[in-house]
Amino acid sequence: MSPPRGRRPVIAGVATSDYPHLPDLSEHAVHGQAADRALADAGLTFAEVDGFATTGFFPMYATGVAEYLGLHPIYFDETNSGGSSFEVLVEHAAYAVECGAAEVVLVTYGSVQLSQMGRRLGTGGGGGGFAPGPAIYDALWGNTLVGNYAMAARRHMHEFGTTPQQLAAVAVTMRKHAATNPQAQEREPITVEDVVTSRLVADPLHKLDCCVISDGGGACIVTTEERAADLPRDPVYVLGAAHATTHHLNLSAMPSLTVSPAAQCGPVAFARAGITPADVDVAQLYDSFTITVVLTVEDLGFCAKGEGGAFVEDGGLEVGGRLPTNTDGGGLSACHPGMRGMFLIVEAVRQLRGEGGPTQVPGARIAVAHGTGGMLSTGATLVLGREAP
Amino acid sequence: MTERWFPDEMPMPAASAETVGWWEAAAEHRLVVQRCTACGQMRHPPGPVCPVCRSTASEWSATEGTGTVYTYTVVRQAFIPSLADKIPYVVIAVELDGAQGLRMVSNLVDVEPEEVTVGMAVEVAWEDMGPELAVPRFRPAAGGESR
Repeated sequence: MSPPRGRRPVIAGVATSDYPHLPDLSEHAVHGQAADRALADAGLTFAEVDGFATTGFFPMYATGVAEYLGLHPIYFDETNSGGSSFEVLVEHAAYAVECGAAEVVLVTYGSVQLSQMGRRLGTGGGGGGFAPGPAIYDALWGNTLVGNYAMAARRHMHEFGTTPQQLAAVAVTMRKHAATNPQAQEREPITVEDVVTSRLVADPLHKLDCCVISDGGGACIVTTEERAADLPRDPVYVLGAAHATTHHLNLSAMPSLTVSPAAQCGPVAFARAGITPADVDVAQLYDSFTITVVLTVEDLGFCAKGEGGAFVEDGGLEVGGRLPTNTDGGGLSACHPGMRGMFLIVEAVRQLRGEGGPTQVPGARIAVAHGTGGMLSTGATLVLGREAP
Repeated sequence: MTERWFPDEMPMPAASAETVGWWEAAAEHRLVVQRCTACGQMRHPPGPVCPVCRSTASEWSATEGTGTVYTYTVVRQAFIPSLADKIPYVVIAVELDGAQGLRMVSNLVDVEPEEVTVGMAVEVAWEDMGPELAVPRFRPAAGGESR
């Protein structure tokens, strides 16, 4: 991206809401709490917001949340690509401020999925009933959300010799990071043995290969470099972004079960940012399931295809490891309210501002936030930097 | 297989203009896939545009109804309430023989979940869901060693 100097897009403020259990808050109130905090972080108020983006699980969702917040934006967006939605919304917001369609875009997320569903294991739902268009070719088999990821995991194991223990290593690292995050939903340390002996949900994925289900949300403020110059926080630059989709619900239509859309959008985002994977200091990668992370580190080019299992073994994702990842504990342990993408952005920005606390990556300059949505159906990569491009 | 394998609460297929040919063949227990008449690429599920050359011209191409297990999972937790009594059941992606590596998601029936392996030879097992409605599930191929 090379917009005119001054209109380069930046993130000027971020916040998470309270999480992971908010029995007294409505979904809208979670948006409101996160928005209020992100604006305060940016040194702004609702009065200065002229753009708004969010998404949820019904049409005209952003319109409803805008009304709730008393906003009358001249730019709005509610693109829904599942777990990658918030990376896409921030990419769009970056373009909007770049071209002058808006000056200050508030992006919010809120969910009370835990309180609504009353279960704590994030394995998603299943078919039955919901079958628009070609989805009937998926709904007939009783497959589940976790079942789709399990089928990708099984194929990865078959092709590359990836082991359940390697997948488990992802969950173990996330729990280790979560132990340093006082808000995290699960903080008790776990071992590889704990993961592989936990109940099988959909072979080969165990209970502890699956994310948690939480209440929570977050928000960020996208504006221009020029506007951010008057604000209290050091801006974090949106250096590059891209997104991609390969299919929706039908694994029959997925070109390869061991390649996620990150293989398409990652290289494009990195090229737009003018970086290579070796330049990335810290990563926030969507971890709906352990296999999601293994595929993503391969597809973003942090290692070769098939080497993801070895990459995540022995602390590869830990601070001090090859690619410090999900420094807040991720969706596997910290918080997963359904579409976790906003948490990836907030944590990436905190790392670049040096606010990572016990899991701060020393001197982090470049961060990647990568969301994955649906049945490995969508990917969206954001490359963020502490310094101007 | 004539009895319903899944309970009646599961969604019933409904053909659209693009898929009616597929369902008509299925009702006659013929497993077909869509084939692009411009570039020859096969695809599933059926749709209006070739994902390779973007042509909208297509025809129905017969398959042998056999293939191998490309990947599978055993669903052990009943997220779909009406399937609680079917747990555990096997969902597979079948790589169809003679179909350019095309994969089709379905169920593997008449098998113990522990016996399923990637590469296992399978054949179509038609389930009649109504007078003019059948869906292709799969079972281990007769005398089928893994390929």
